Amino acid sequence: MTCQTEKSPADETFVVQMKGITKIYPNGVAANLEVDFNLRRGEIHALMGENGAGKSTLMKILFGMEQPTGGEIIFNGEKLEITSPTVAINHGIGMVHQHFMLVPSLSVAENIVLGMVPRKSGMFIDRAKAIEITREYAERFNLRVEPESRVMDIPVGMKQKVEILKALVRGAKILIMDEPTAVLTSQETADLFVELRHLKEQGYTIVFISHKLNEIMEITDRLTITRNGRSMGVYNTRDVTKEDISRLMVGRDVVLTVQKEKAVPGNVVLRVRDLKYMNDWGRKMLDGISFDVRRGEILGIAGVEGNGQKELVDMLFNFNVPNTGSVTVNGAGILGMPQQKIRELGVSLVPEDRMLFGIAASASIEENVISDRIGAKRLNNGPLFNMKAIREESDRLIREYAVLCKSRRQHVGMLSGGNIQKVVVAREFSNDPVLILADQPTRGIDVGATEFIHRKLIELSRSGVAVLLVSADLNEVMELSDSLIVMYNGQIAAYFDDTADLTDEIMGSYMLGLKHQTEKEVRRACHE
Amino acid sequence: MNRKRKLLFTIVRSLVAILIALLVATVLIFISTPGATFRIRIDATFEALREMLAGPVFRFSKKNGMVFEGKRLADIFAAMIPTIFTGLSVCVMFSANQFNLGAEGGIMLGAFVSAMAAIYLPLLAGLHAVVAVLLGGVATALVMLLPALLKAKLDVSEMVCSLMLNYIIMYIIKFLMNFYLADKSRGTIQSFPFRESSAIAPIVNNPVFSGAKLTWGFIIALVAVLVCGLFMYRSRWGYTIRMIGINKDFAKYSGMKVGMIIVLAQLIGGFLAGTGGGIEMLGRYNAFAWNALPGYGWAGITIAILAGNNPYMVPLAAFFMAYLSKGCDLMATYAKVPSQLISIIQVVIFLLFSAEQFLSAYRQKLVVETAQEELALAQAQKEGV
Repeated sequence: MTCQTEKSPADETFVVQMKGITKIYPNGVAANLEVDFNLRRGEIHALMGENGAGKSTLMKILFGMEQPTGGEIIFNGEKLEITSPTVAINHGIGMVHQHFMLVPSLSVAENIVLGMVPRKSGMFIDRAKAIEITREYAERFNLRVEPESRVMDIPVGMKQKVEILKALVRGAKILIMDEPTAVLTSQETADLFVELRHLKEQGYTIVFISHKLNEIMEITDRLTITRNGRSMGVYNTRDVTKEDISRLMVGRDVVLTVQKEKAVPGNVVLRVRDLKYMNDWGRKMLDGISFDVRRGEILGIAGVEGNGQKELVDMLFNFNVPNTGSVTVNGAGILGMPQQKIRELGVSLVPEDRMLFGIAASASIEENVISDRIGAKRLNNGPLFNMKAIREESDRLIREYAVLCKSRRQHVGMLSGGNIQKVVVAREFSNDPVLILADQPTRGIDVGATEFIHRKLIELSRSGVAVLLVSADLNEVMELSDSLIVMYNGQIAAYFDDTADLTDEIMGSYMLGLKHQTEKEVRRACHE
Repeated sequence: MNRKRKLLFTIVRSLVAILIALLVATVLIFISTPGATFRIRIDATFEALREMLAGPVFRFSKKNGMVFEGKRLADIFAAMIPTIFTGLSVCVMFSANQFNLGAEGGIMLGAFVSAMAAIYLPLLAGLHAVVAVLLGGVATALVMLLPALLKAKLDVSEMVCSLMLNYIIMYIIKFLMNFYLADKSRGTIQSFPFRESSAIAPIVNNPVFSGAKLTWGFIIALVAVLVCGLFMYRSRWGYTIRMIGINKDFAKYSGMKVGMIIVLAQLIGGFLAGTGGGIEMLGRYNAFAWNALPGYGWAGITIAILAGNNPYMVPLAAFFMAYLSKGCDLMATYAKVPSQLISIIQVVIFLLFSAEQFLSAYRQKLVVETAQEELALAQAQKEGV
């Protein structure tokens, strides 16, 4: 493993040089400190680092979404001020965002030409022309999309292709891809990699932001690792091992496999029977879902996103009500029950969207960790809060859950993604739950925090808590679950009572709907 | 940013804001001052500025120069009583993200109900005022149920609803006064006189405040500030109100009774506004003669925004507003500045003071410096170890 020293600035092969980039946000967070980042023409370059390491900020600076506090950007040998994304696009820099920036109600073609719409007689939108443009580019770059379908009807993998096409149509030669595989199945990821290689052969330069070591090793030529806002160096991918990278990223060796004792399941805690739900557009989102979660086990729900997992969790916590079906927790029906009553039964939820549901961003850590227990006797003195008890409880949780912060009074919104999630988890895991619903509990957070949350989940389940784990991260759901459900198209496509022998290929075939277990096999998810 | 830098920033910002506002005011006054020569107009301008800035606490005369004027200061304190209450009322409601503008009608309703209780209820002195004021508060709280329940149950905009409610309250009161409750022996529309027993006692015979009419209402207002602050920051209901204001979805997910608390916040807001109206009415007047909305509710909104919805900051904001208003009144009275201009000057000062992004570049510089120092420190510690 040798760290490269970059050649002279005049070197022709560098298409972008970011020199000494420093970014300090108005809230005082130093996201980047003297970071150097160079791109060679026609390479796939990985940008790696834990959450809060500053990689997203660095790329936002390159794409003109943020202005650096210090440093300079050399583009094709000349200094360039990228004051807005428009400037970036005009210079051939395109970004594919992690959260797709598409208009769901418009067609694929309309999304692709948005902002540069071809017109008929100067006034009307030329849809035929838009579709033609889309077809032409789709063919040239071998990115298969359906130009006439509405974006809300197409699968995630295709949405991503639309995003890539959007950038290419605007003349991008450099593509920044922010965690492109986070939402894809293994098959879709494989497809994406073929497409990326194809782009590379045609001279395109790709920045690939990711946490996933396997993918980095497979697809990239070089990699830059960031940690705590600083660059940890540039390496040729073939010269380093996964263990090297993980050591550079987190400063210690991350255990890549999860170790856990065998589960000893007890009584059924959560019983779900025959849930059906049709959404406002008449699409069947849940189509007869039945399963049980028992004490002391982790039941995983895998599946490509959009196959009903979100709707299922919404029903379980009364953010929505199904058309038919029943849900009980230790025998008590919870459908349509206020969240407060559901919580009183001992149900905790780690929500998928932590910024929307999980926290109040401009409130302190202290205020966030007590939100579900403000009525508790121990935290109150008559009509007023017992401030000492609250202080002690929040300090204890911050310590126990290793939340990295200045003090319990710090605003949660100022923390990094991983630490925000630790705050959510600290609250949800610490109120003596009998059932934990963990929906994408480690999405987009760093390896250290992920490992910590995994350990806690296992610890709680082994102490007798029932855990329902919904995750789009195949690795997570396969490593953690004792038994596993695959959802496809609002149905349970497969149930596995043991995850030991499962492979990605088996999972993929069920997740993509190539295979489907028999009714009898699926029915094993109900322990009656 | 550390505490010292934050303080520095706040001070610098306030000073610069005041300086700019004064500069603008000076120019405006100079333009509008009558006078034949440049010299006369400059003198007149400075006289006007002096009245505005120091007038609220000092009196100027050729003979004695500058003399401390307790009465004027007491007038300012007295003027703060209703606006502290409406400020608190708005604080509580805005904290829950409920943009209820009903404090204006609320203070009028509270004043009216208290006045009626002061006229028609035969009670003992001492008890009488308390009952009358509480009745005013409770009546207003109940009326605030209207926008609150409509919001909680049917998702009707509380802003529109409460805004309209102000006028409904005003016209109903005017109707009742005109047709049923007016003392017909008087030349103007006003009620019968209050019973003596209902008066709120003045803070007695303090030589500093001699001649001023400052009642115990001021002390009650300050106590209300304290209670409100405790409620908002130290009780689970206040906590819930604030969390709902920050993120309603989070509050719901956490198991808080969002609908109920939204209603509660507006009930409390109504109670505070109504109480303020009662105290103002019984403390300052002998009969009910308001025939229009008094404007204290609008001032309360300004004050709550200045105070950042923090009850503890409400007295400061109310003082600032009352001082400014008094200074401007004096300037209009003694310095021949047209009264229209007074409003403009008032607004310029307020605008600069409340502009959040004002001097944000300077703030960013301080932030960067702090961050760099912290990093250097961390580095040094690391190397030291």
